[in-house]
Amino acid sequence: MKFGIIHELSVSKPWHPLSEHEVYHNALAQVELADELGFDQSWAVEHHFLEEYSHCSAPEVFLAAAAMRTKRIRLGHGIVVSLPPFNHPVRCAERAAALDIISNGRLEFGTGRSATWTELGGFRCDPDLTKEMWDEALHAIPKMWTQDTFSWEGRFFSMPERPVLPKPVQKPHPPLWVAVSSPETAIQAGERGIGCLGVSIGTPQEYKQRVEDYRRVIKTCEPVGEFVNEQVNGVTFMYVDETDEEAQTWGTKLAYSFSHLAAHLVGISSVYPTPAYKTPGLLFSVRQAAGQEKAPGGGGVIREGMAIGSPQTVIKNLKMWQEIGVDRMVLIINTGEVIPQERVLRSMHLFAEQVLPAFDKKASITLVTSPATELVEPAMP
Amino acid sequence: MPDQGRLTQERLPHASPVASPLYPKPPWRLPGARVLKLVYETDAEPVLAWLPPKLTRSSPPYVVLTVAHYPESPVGPFSLASQHIGCRAGFFIRALTYHAVTDRIAALAALREVWGFPCTLGEITLDAKGQVVTASVAVGGETVAVASLSDASPIEGGSVRFDPVLNVRMTPSMEEGKQHDLLQLVQVDPDAEVRKALRGRGALRLTSASAVAPWHVLPVRYMVSAVYCTVDTELPLARFVMPY
Repeated sequence: MKFGIIHELSVSKPWHPLSEHEVYHNALAQVELADELGFDQSWAVEHHFLEEYSHCSAPEVFLAAAAMRTKRIRLGHGIVVSLPPFNHPVRCAERAAALDIISNGRLEFGTGRSATWTELGGFRCDPDLTKEMWDEALHAIPKMWTQDTFSWEGRFFSMPERPVLPKPVQKPHPPLWVAVSSPETAIQAGERGIGCLGVSIGTPQEYKQRVEDYRRVIKTCEPVGEFVNEQVNGVTFMYVDETDEEAQTWGTKLAYSFSHLAAHLVGISSVYPTPAYKTPGLLFSVRQAAGQEKAPGGGGVIREGMAIGSPQTVIKNLKMWQEIGVDRMVLIINTGEVIPQERVLRSMHLFAEQVLPAFDKKASITLVTSPATELVEPAMP
Repeated sequence: MPDQGRLTQERLPHASPVASPLYPKPPWRLPGARVLKLVYETDAEPVLAWLPPKLTRSSPPYVVLTVAHYPESPVGPFSLASQHIGCRAGFFIRALTYHAVTDRIAALAALREVWGFPCTLGEITLDAKGQVVTASVAVGGETVAVASLSDASPIEGGSVRFDPVLNVRMTPSMEEGKQHDLLQLVQVDPDAEVRKALRGRGALRLTSASAVAPWHVLPVRYMVSAVYCTVDTELPLARFVMPY
């Protein structure tokens, strides 16, 4: 099992002129340390207009800076909102390829469609059509990377023949993923032969069925890319300290703050009735979690499987994910700087020194099952 | 020893003429209701001005406007039009009633006293013809809102959502210098089974700067959605949430 970190770049109010600067630079320092300590991936989301919750609207810039500070860690561009009203598919392909070059072939490419009215409304994007838009872009982008020239006549975008440049370093192209917050999307990931990038804060039991469905469906997939990227990525909070008590104190602040900020976004399903968004995704899960029990000081947000506790507790919790077949866990290590930076870095050190050795990284190398081409491993040109 | 009275506190609410002559006890079953529901984005400043300090605004700020006709209720047929501010109580999505209008005096009394709706008496229309639904709300002969849904097409009833409503329940005080004897936030949990629903293009005009029904205070900046549905619903006992 492999482990990574993810940055939403949350900036809590009250803001001061350097609030965002502080968050960005703390996050870059965390990526740098993660690289040194042996974490496998570092992801950066793409969100727009989500005040406080995520100020990461240009993740390709953040990731380019991260690429220049690191040598080994893989860089997760994800998810890229793969909808033409947000990002023309050509721009998605171009930026990703440039990042792959800059990072010497360390890019993971996540796709998705956004789940908030805050974002879709901001771009005047029809929620009914986002799944179809995403699917069209997902089928087009790998072709842009692999064909000398590319043309397209689709429902949501079209273009005459052009060379889409540059081409990624990884051949045939970087691994593809999709953000998964519903059972349907896990199946769609499998059908398309792309990685299942869990983005909802669930428990291992809640993920179990999705993992099984994904593994079953991907066996008979029709890959959208040149190879099958059969991997399941889960996400949870991480704070490790010497004792469970100390870790719970800070871990609760982390989970509570993240969930509280997320709760203030406007999910599609809460304001716009559509069959295209049957589940409220991340927002639902955090609210549900918070509502299960209420303890003074924001309890009720610590759930089974979270990497919060002493190293022994965290090992035990993360093994639950391994047991249900999750290949990689992506860890949320801070939000809105609710945990002081020195504590975050110390938690990362403890994780690397005392938790990572309990998981055999060799047992979970990236699975690439297509007969098509090369193994997707960090590739220096 | 003189004889003591026997009206204990437990018997008070519905033994007292304050309540019992005007309306029966909740819950009220409201079958076959017709509801037009519009959601629109509005400005942050008026939303913050009208949210109690324990509630927080969403991003972006939005309003849920409903115009409902209840053909059956314990007080007979009545209509209710409400303007709710989409907000958060901690982690949870709630709709705080900013202002409401009803057209029947018995409903008015119950809505105010039991459920805490900031309700006034007025005139409400709600008409559906083919693919067009129109509604209007007037107070004192002055139209304060005209809403419509056009280009309607059927949508799965399960996708229509009614969030729990929060009301500021209050009893004005008789004492000099004291505004309220009771001030609390209560929650009305929805129990709605949507039977048929149409979604379409919504339009809303808040037509008058009325002092008694100031619906214009929450202006329409961007229409999000418009739904018309038939619902079997209920007004349950309100749930006390927190002191103001």
